[in-house]
Amino acid sequence: MASIDTVTTSSGPAVPPDPPAQAGRARPRRGHGWRRDRFAYALIAPAVLFMVAIHLLPTLGGGVLAFKNLNTFTFSQLFGAPWAGLRNFEAILFDDANPLHNGFLNAAGNTAVYTVVTVAGVLIGGLLIALLLNREFPGQRIVRTLMLAPWVVPSFVVAVLWGFMWQSDVGIVNKVLVDYTGLLDDRPVWLLGPNSLWAIIIPSIWRGLPFCMLIFLAGLQAVPKELHEAAAIDGAGPIRRFFYITLPLLRPLIAVQLLIQVIYAAYQFTIPWIMLGTNPGEHADLLMTLIVRQSFSNNLFGFGAAASVIVMLAMSLWVVVWLAAFRRDLETQR
Amino acid sequence: MTRRRATNWGLNALTYLVLIVMLAPIGWLILSSLQTNGALSSGEYDVFSPTFEAFSGMWKSVDFGHYFANSLIICGAAALFATLFAASAGYALARFRFRGHRAYSLTVIGTQLIPGSLFLLPLFIGFIWLRQNTPISLYDTRIGMILVYTAFFTPVAIYFMRSFFQAIPRDLEDAAMVDGCSRFGAFVRIVLPNAAPGLVATFIYAFLFAWDELLFVQALTESRAETIPIGIHNFIAGYAQEYAQLMAAGVVSTVPVIVAFYATQRWLVRGMTAGAVKG
Repeated sequence: MASIDTVTTSSGPAVPPDPPAQAGRARPRRGHGWRRDRFAYALIAPAVLFMVAIHLLPTLGGGVLAFKNLNTFTFSQLFGAPWAGLRNFEAILFDDANPLHNGFLNAAGNTAVYTVVTVAGVLIGGLLIALLLNREFPGQRIVRTLMLAPWVVPSFVVAVLWGFMWQSDVGIVNKVLVDYTGLLDDRPVWLLGPNSLWAIIIPSIWRGLPFCMLIFLAGLQAVPKELHEAAAIDGAGPIRRFFYITLPLLRPLIAVQLLIQVIYAAYQFTIPWIMLGTNPGEHADLLMTLIVRQSFSNNLFGFGAAASVIVMLAMSLWVVVWLAAFRRDLETQR
Repeated sequence: MTRRRATNWGLNALTYLVLIVMLAPIGWLILSSLQTNGALSSGEYDVFSPTFEAFSGMWKSVDFGHYFANSLIICGAAALFATLFAASAGYALARFRFRGHRAYSLTVIGTQLIPGSLFLLPLFIGFIWLRQNTPISLYDTRIGMILVYTAFFTPVAIYFMRSFFQAIPRDLEDAAMVDGCSRFGAFVRIVLPNAAPGLVATFIYAFLFAWDELLFVQALTESRAETIPIGIHNFIAGYAQEYAQLMAAGVVSTVPVIVAFYATQRWLVRGMTAGAVKG
């Protein structure tokens, strides 16, 4: 990519600036640009075809369903179900009498807490472990490799395993907290009630951490040693060096991880669904579990589609906020 | 100086401690799968006499072999197709500034922003419609799941492959084309063999994600094409007290991906961190 960039930009000054009507960018070298484009289009064609069929068209279809009254009674009509106008959206966002309204607000609140805590845990924990692993120590290679293991354990296994570990009577967590160390006097119930949100947050952090750690470790290794040495000679301690050298250099990586991890966490489905069941209960119901349950168990497909559209808009808003906050970091990196 | 050595030693110890804490749940999974059900429900583990009872029992409780075979076929085929499509699309993005380049690469990332449920519902309804009105059967078939997963994991695979192609010097293709290779010939005969580690890494990466996918498979299948996560869910529904077998099932479903990951770890890590070191 770098070579292409330099070719096009270096030929840039020779070409007079394009008038808008021409709408073409500076053509690549070697006059036959169109033939080259044709080859590129042929290369992307299969992927484009699949993405149109599975991503684009169904997403548009979902947008249509959001305005349809598709439920148990109209299900046989499929896409021909009667129009509902904005009623699905009104019911979700404003109708206090509608149980779906409360369900949605509750799930949105849980998802917000889940996302903020999980992402904070993953990013901060990942950075701290990356700092630890960035030092010279015996067994460095094997420790770095083994640290990735939780990320490879499938989410549904994570849910089953932690669901077992959270068991109130025989689970290892309570055994350690109550029986072995005596930190707590009563055995907490993890899989029901307010604790159940923590029962899905902690395994999510555990599984997500290694990926972030890996990215940050790669970033740390790219920080020139001379910077730290020079600062150390000038009398900067490790903590000041972290805040004035390491952290600013990692900022673009942190920004990208923040973006990805928020989207990933907000769309979490597997861990609550396997650990706590199709209805995780009011304390741990996330947006995705709510939408899937209302759509497929209660046949409220119009509701599900409308709620999905709202979630998508909220995520787009997050991307806009993110771009506004980090645009500069992304540009300086290039 | 001694103080510095003490800190260093303390940080080393902390590192090993963190590793132990991170690996402990996996150790607990393995340990529990080697116990009898009675030991698990009473909490009295007998670490020194492991038993493989649970591993033989789990295949009988639910038809785990059926789910396992489905997972292997669906995820393997989908990862293969996704890798092939991503290889060609990733090459186009890495090498050519075609018209729509930027729009296309933004669209590829953009797909990751769509909540699964938004395109899941129409896909489900579309699959049902196809079953009712045409002879095409995608609902609850392996082919249907392979199609969905191929599309699903192609975008990430494209970014993966692109970073591998960017690391291959252009001169290789230029030389091949001087020697009379066509563009496509140069891609297939020169670039792809050089990108072999990238192809393997992309395949495994897509496979790992497909193996873990639950949202779509729980909606688009009901008996014939169900994969391991559904098997685990059915297991919990029917045999909630069989913890030992459940843990054994967890081990069995983790082994393929752990082996695949560690066998190709060097290339995988390169692909995953490619964006980290350079834009």
